[in-house]
Amino acid sequence: MVSILLLVAVIILAVISITVKKTVPAVLSFALLMFLLGLYYIGYDEKLLGLFQIFVYTGGIVVLVLFGVTVIGSTFPEEKSRPWAVASIVLIAIGFIVIPFIMPNFNVVENAGNVKAQVTVLTENYAEVAIFLAVVGASLLYGSIRMLHTLKHEKELS
Amino acid sequence: MSFEIDMIFAIILFAIGLYGVTNKADFLRIFFSLEMLLNAVILVLASSAYHFGMTQNLAIAYIVIVIATLEAAAGVLIFLLSNRITKEVIPDKLDEGGKYND
Repeated sequence: MVSILLLVAVIILAVISITVKKTVPAVLSFALLMFLLGLYYIGYDEKLLGLFQIFVYTGGIVVLVLFGVTVIGSTFPEEKSRPWAVASIVLIAIGFIVIPFIMPNFNVVENAGNVKAQVTVLTENYAEVAIFLAVVGASLLYGSIRMLHTLKHEKELS
Repeated sequence: MSFEIDMIFAIILFAIGLYGVTNKADFLRIFFSLEMLLNAVILVLASSAYHFGMTQNLAIAYIVIVIATLEAAAGVLIFLLSNRITKEVIPDKLDEGGKYND
Protein backbone atom coordinates (compact mmCIF):
# COMPACT_ATOMS: atom_id res chain seq x y z
CA MET A 1 0.00 0.00 0.00
CA VAL A 2 2.82 2.39 0.89
CA SER A 3 4.50 1.48 -2.38
CA ILE A 4 1.41 2.38 -4.40
CA LEU A 5 1.13 5.69 -2.54
CA LEU A 6 4.79 6.40 -3.31
CA LEU A 7 4.27 5.69 -6.99
CA VAL A 8 1.08 7.79 -7.13
CA ALA A 9 3.00 10.66 -5.49
CA VAL A 10 5.74 10.18 -8.09
CA ILE A 11 3.24 10.50 -10.94
CA ILE A 12 1.60 13.60 -9.39
CA LEU A 13 4.99 15.25 -8.86
CA ALA A 14 5.98 14.42 -12.44
CA VAL A 15 2.86 16.16 -13.75
CA ILE A 16 3.50 19.16 -11.49
CA SER A 17 7.12 19.52 -12.56
CA ILE A 18 6.10 19.51 -16.23
CA THR A 19 3.07 21.81 -16.05
CA VAL A 20 3.79 24.40 -13.37
CA LYS A 21 4.67 27.87 -14.66
CA LYS A 22 7.25 28.83 -12.01
CA THR A 23 10.73 27.37 -12.23
CA VAL A 24 11.59 26.85 -8.56
CA PRO A 25 8.45 24.78 -7.70
CA ALA A 26 9.16 22.70 -10.81
CA VAL A 27 12.73 22.00 -9.68
CA LEU A 28 11.58 21.20 -6.12
CA SER A 29 8.91 18.78 -7.30
CA PHE A 30 11.49 17.16 -9.62
CA ALA A 31 13.88 16.73 -6.69
CA LEU A 32 11.11 15.27 -4.49
CA LEU A 33 10.11 12.92 -7.33
CA MET A 34 13.64 11.54 -7.54
CA PHE A 35 13.88 11.26 -3.74
CA LEU A 36 10.63 9.25 -3.59
CA LEU A 37 11.84 6.97 -6.37
CA GLY A 38 15.04 6.39 -4.38
CA LEU A 39 12.96 5.53 -1.31
CA TYR A 40 10.93 3.13 -3.45
CA TYR A 41 14.08 1.30 -4.55
CA ILE A 42 15.27 1.12 -0.94
CA GLY A 43 11.89 -0.44 -0.09
CA TYR A 44 12.63 -3.08 -2.73
CA ASP A 45 15.77 -3.99 -0.77
CA GLU A 46 17.98 -2.48 -3.47
CA LYS A 47 19.74 -0.08 -1.15
CA LEU A 48 22.69 0.75 -3.35
CA LEU A 49 20.49 1.66 -6.31
CA GLY A 50 18.23 3.76 -4.07
CA LEU A 51 21.10 5.64 -2.48
CA PHE A 52 22.74 6.09 -5.88
CA GLN A 53 19.46 7.53 -7.19
CA ILE A 54 19.12 9.95 -4.26
CA PHE A 55 22.75 11.08 -4.35
CA VAL A 56 22.96 11.49 -8.12
CA TYR A 57 19.56 12.97 -8.87
CA THR A 58 18.59 15.01 -5.81
CA GLY A 59 22.22 15.85 -5.17
CA GLY A 60 24.05 16.39 -8.42
CA ILE A 61 21.55 16.89 -11.19
CA VAL A 62 19.25 19.23 -9.23
CA VAL A 63 22.22 21.49 -8.49
CA LEU A 64 22.99 21.60 -12.23
CA VAL A 65 19.34 22.44 -12.91
CA LEU A 66 19.38 25.19 -10.28
CA PHE A 67 22.36 26.64 -12.11
CA GLY A 68 20.16 26.68 -15.22
CA VAL A 69 17.36 28.36 -13.27
CA THR A 70 19.68 31.25 -12.52
CA VAL A 71 19.88 31.81 -16.28
CA ILE A 72 16.18 31.71 -17.21
CA GLY A 73 14.72 33.44 -14.14
CA SER A 74 11.68 32.62 -12.04
CA THR A 75 9.14 31.86 -14.79
CA PHE A 76 9.27 29.61 -17.82
CA PRO A 77 9.09 31.29 -21.23
CA GLU A 78 5.78 31.30 -23.12
CA GLU A 79 5.09 28.37 -25.39
CA LYS A 80 2.79 27.38 -28.21
CA SER A 81 0.00 24.97 -27.28
CA ARG A 82 -0.04 21.64 -29.14
CA PRO A 83 -3.31 19.92 -28.25
CA TRP A 84 -2.68 16.91 -30.49
CA ALA A 85 0.29 15.90 -28.36
CA VAL A 86 -1.82 14.88 -25.34
CA ALA A 87 -4.07 12.61 -27.42
CA SER A 88 -1.13 10.95 -29.18
CA ILE A 89 0.75 10.37 -25.92
CA VAL A 90 -2.35 8.85 -24.27
CA LEU A 91 -2.70 6.51 -27.25
CA ILE A 92 0.97 5.52 -27.03
CA ALA A 93 0.67 4.87 -23.28
CA ILE A 94 -2.42 2.70 -23.74
CA GLY A 95 -0.58 0.80 -26.45
CA PHE A 96 2.42 0.21 -24.16
CA ILE A 97 0.10 -1.04 -21.42
CA VAL A 98 -1.94 -3.32 -23.69
CA ILE A 99 0.85 -4.91 -25.74
CA PRO A 100 2.52 -6.95 -22.93
CA PHE A 101 -0.81 -8.45 -21.90
CA ILE A 102 -1.80 -9.55 -25.41
CA MET A 103 1.60 -11.05 -26.18
CA PRO A 104 1.61 -14.84 -25.91
CA ASN A 105 4.23 -16.57 -23.72
CA PHE A 106 5.20 -13.43 -21.83
CA ASN A 107 7.02 -15.42 -19.19
CA VAL A 108 10.20 -13.70 -18.11
CA VAL A 109 11.21 -16.22 -15.46
CA GLU A 110 11.67 -19.13 -17.85
CA ASN A 111 13.75 -17.04 -20.22
CA ALA A 112 15.93 -15.51 -17.52
CA GLY A 113 18.69 -18.15 -17.44
CA ASN A 114 20.71 -18.95 -14.37
CA VAL A 115 22.20 -16.22 -12.22
CA LYS A 116 25.83 -17.26 -12.64
CA ALA A 117 25.59 -16.92 -16.41
CA GLN A 118 24.02 -13.49 -15.99
CA VAL A 119 26.74 -12.21 -13.67
CA THR A 120 29.50 -13.25 -16.07
CA VAL A 121 28.03 -11.18 -18.90
CA LEU A 122 30.04 -8.08 -17.98
CA THR A 123 33.25 -10.01 -17.28
CA GLU A 124 33.40 -12.42 -20.23
CA ASN A 125 31.78 -10.25 -22.89
CA TYR A 126 33.96 -7.28 -22.03
CA ALA A 127 34.52 -6.47 -25.70
CA GLU A 128 30.92 -5.25 -26.06
CA VAL A 129 31.24 -3.15 -22.89
CA ALA A 130 34.50 -1.68 -24.18
CA ILE A 131 32.90 -0.83 -27.53
CA PHE A 132 29.94 0.78 -25.75
CA LEU A 133 32.18 2.87 -23.52
CA ALA A 134 34.31 3.81 -26.52
CA VAL A 135 31.24 5.04 -28.41
CA VAL A 136 30.11 7.09 -25.37
CA GLY A 137 33.62 8.52 -24.94
CA ALA A 138 33.94 9.34 -28.64
CA SER A 139 30.55 11.11 -28.57
CA LEU A 140 31.61 13.21 -25.59
CA LEU A 141 34.94 14.03 -27.24
CA TYR A 142 33.21 15.02 -30.49
CA GLY A 143 30.70 17.19 -28.58
CA SER A 144 33.50 18.93 -26.67
CA ILE A 145 35.47 19.63 -29.86
CA ARG A 146 32.36 20.97 -31.61
CA MET A 147 31.59 23.22 -28.65
CA LEU A 148 35.13 24.58 -28.56
CA HIS A 149 34.93 25.20 -32.31
CA THR A 150 31.61 27.04 -31.90
CA LEU A 151 32.97 29.18 -29.07
CA LYS A 152 36.05 30.03 -31.15
CA HIS A 153 33.82 30.97 -34.09
CA GLU A 154 31.72 33.18 -31.83
CA LYS A 155 34.86 34.91 -30.54
CA GLU A 156 36.03 35.57 -34.10
CA LEU A 157 32.65 37.07 -35.02
CA SER A 158 32.52 39.43 -32.04
CA MET B 1 3.24 -5.08 -5.20
CA SER B 2 3.38 -6.99 -8.44
CA PHE B 3 5.54 -6.44 -11.48
CA GLU B 4 2.51 -5.49 -13.59
CA ILE B 5 1.58 -2.56 -11.31
CA ASP B 6 5.17 -1.33 -11.39
CA MET B 7 5.15 -1.61 -15.14
CA ILE B 8 1.90 0.36 -15.45
CA PHE B 9 3.27 3.18 -13.28
CA ALA B 10 6.51 3.14 -15.29
CA ILE B 11 4.53 3.42 -18.52
CA ILE B 12 2.57 6.38 -17.12
CA LEU B 13 5.84 8.06 -16.10
CA PHE B 14 7.26 7.32 -19.54
CA ALA B 15 4.16 8.81 -21.19
CA ILE B 16 4.46 11.99 -19.11
CA GLY B 17 8.12 12.26 -20.13
CA LEU B 18 7.23 11.67 -23.77
CA TYR B 19 4.57 14.38 -23.57
CA GLY B 20 7.13 16.80 -22.14
CA VAL B 21 9.75 16.01 -24.77
CA THR B 22 7.34 16.42 -27.68
CA ASN B 23 5.19 19.28 -26.39
CA LYS B 24 7.25 21.58 -24.19
CA ALA B 25 9.23 24.40 -25.68
CA ASP B 26 12.00 25.25 -23.24
CA PHE B 27 15.18 23.36 -22.47
CA LEU B 28 14.54 22.93 -18.74
CA ARG B 29 11.24 21.10 -19.06
CA ILE B 30 12.57 18.98 -21.92
CA PHE B 31 15.46 18.08 -19.63
CA PHE B 32 13.04 17.10 -16.83
CA SER B 33 11.09 14.98 -19.31
CA LEU B 34 14.21 13.19 -20.53
CA GLU B 35 15.11 12.34 -16.94
CA MET B 36 11.59 10.97 -16.45
CA LEU B 37 11.96 8.75 -19.51
CA LEU B 38 15.21 7.34 -18.15
CA ASN B 39 13.71 6.89 -14.67
CA ALA B 40 10.77 4.93 -16.08
CA VAL B 41 13.32 2.55 -17.61
CA ILE B 42 15.21 2.31 -14.30
CA LEU B 43 11.93 1.56 -12.49
CA VAL B 44 11.18 -1.36 -14.82
CA LEU B 45 14.75 -2.67 -14.49
CA ALA B 46 14.69 -2.49 -10.68
CA SER B 47 11.26 -4.08 -10.47
CA SER B 48 12.23 -6.97 -12.75
CA ALA B 49 15.43 -7.48 -10.74
CA TYR B 50 13.36 -7.74 -7.56
CA HIS B 51 10.49 -9.89 -8.84
CA PHE B 52 12.31 -12.24 -11.22
CA GLY B 53 15.82 -12.28 -9.80
CA MET B 54 17.30 -10.81 -12.98
CA THR B 55 20.30 -9.27 -11.24
CA GLN B 56 21.99 -8.15 -14.45
CA ASN B 57 19.24 -5.56 -14.77
CA LEU B 58 20.66 -3.74 -11.76
CA ALA B 59 23.98 -3.37 -13.57
CA ILE B 60 22.09 -1.94 -16.56
CA ALA B 61 20.24 0.43 -14.19
CA TYR B 62 23.55 1.78 -12.85
CA ILE B 63 24.75 2.32 -16.43
CA VAL B 64 21.51 4.18 -17.22
CA ILE B 65 22.03 6.44 -14.18
CA VAL B 66 25.59 7.21 -15.32
CA ILE B 67 24.30 8.02 -18.82
CA ALA B 68 21.65 10.29 -17.26
CA THR B 69 24.37 12.14 -15.37
CA LEU B 70 26.42 12.63 -18.54
CA GLU B 71 23.28 13.78 -20.33
CA ALA B 72 22.63 16.31 -17.56
CA ALA B 73 26.13 17.74 -17.91
CA ALA B 74 25.84 17.94 -21.71
CA GLY B 75 22.31 19.39 -21.38
CA VAL B 76 23.44 22.25 -19.16
CA LEU B 77 26.22 23.05 -21.64
CA ILE B 78 23.72 23.18 -24.53
CA PHE B 79 21.42 25.25 -22.33
CA LEU B 80 24.09 27.85 -21.60
CA LEU B 81 25.31 27.91 -25.21
CA SER B 82 21.74 28.50 -26.40
CA ASN B 83 21.41 31.33 -23.91
CA ARG B 84 24.61 32.91 -25.21
CA ILE B 85 23.63 32.61 -28.88
CA THR B 86 19.94 33.57 -28.87
CA LYS B 87 19.55 35.11 -25.39
CA GLU B 88 16.72 32.62 -24.84
CA VAL B 89 16.43 29.00 -23.74
CA ILE B 90 13.98 27.82 -26.41
CA PRO B 91 15.35 25.19 -28.83
CA ASP B 92 13.13 26.37 -31.73
CA LYS B 93 14.81 29.78 -31.63
CA LEU B 94 18.14 28.17 -32.52
CA ASP B 95 16.76 27.54 -36.00
CA GLU B 96 15.26 30.97 -36.42
CA GLY B 97 18.12 33.24 -35.55
CA GLY B 98 21.38 33.78 -33.82
CA LYS B 99 24.73 34.90 -35.09
CA TYR B 100 25.60 31.69 -36.93
CA ASN B 101 22.65 31.72 -39.30
CA ASP B 102 23.52 35.08 -40.76
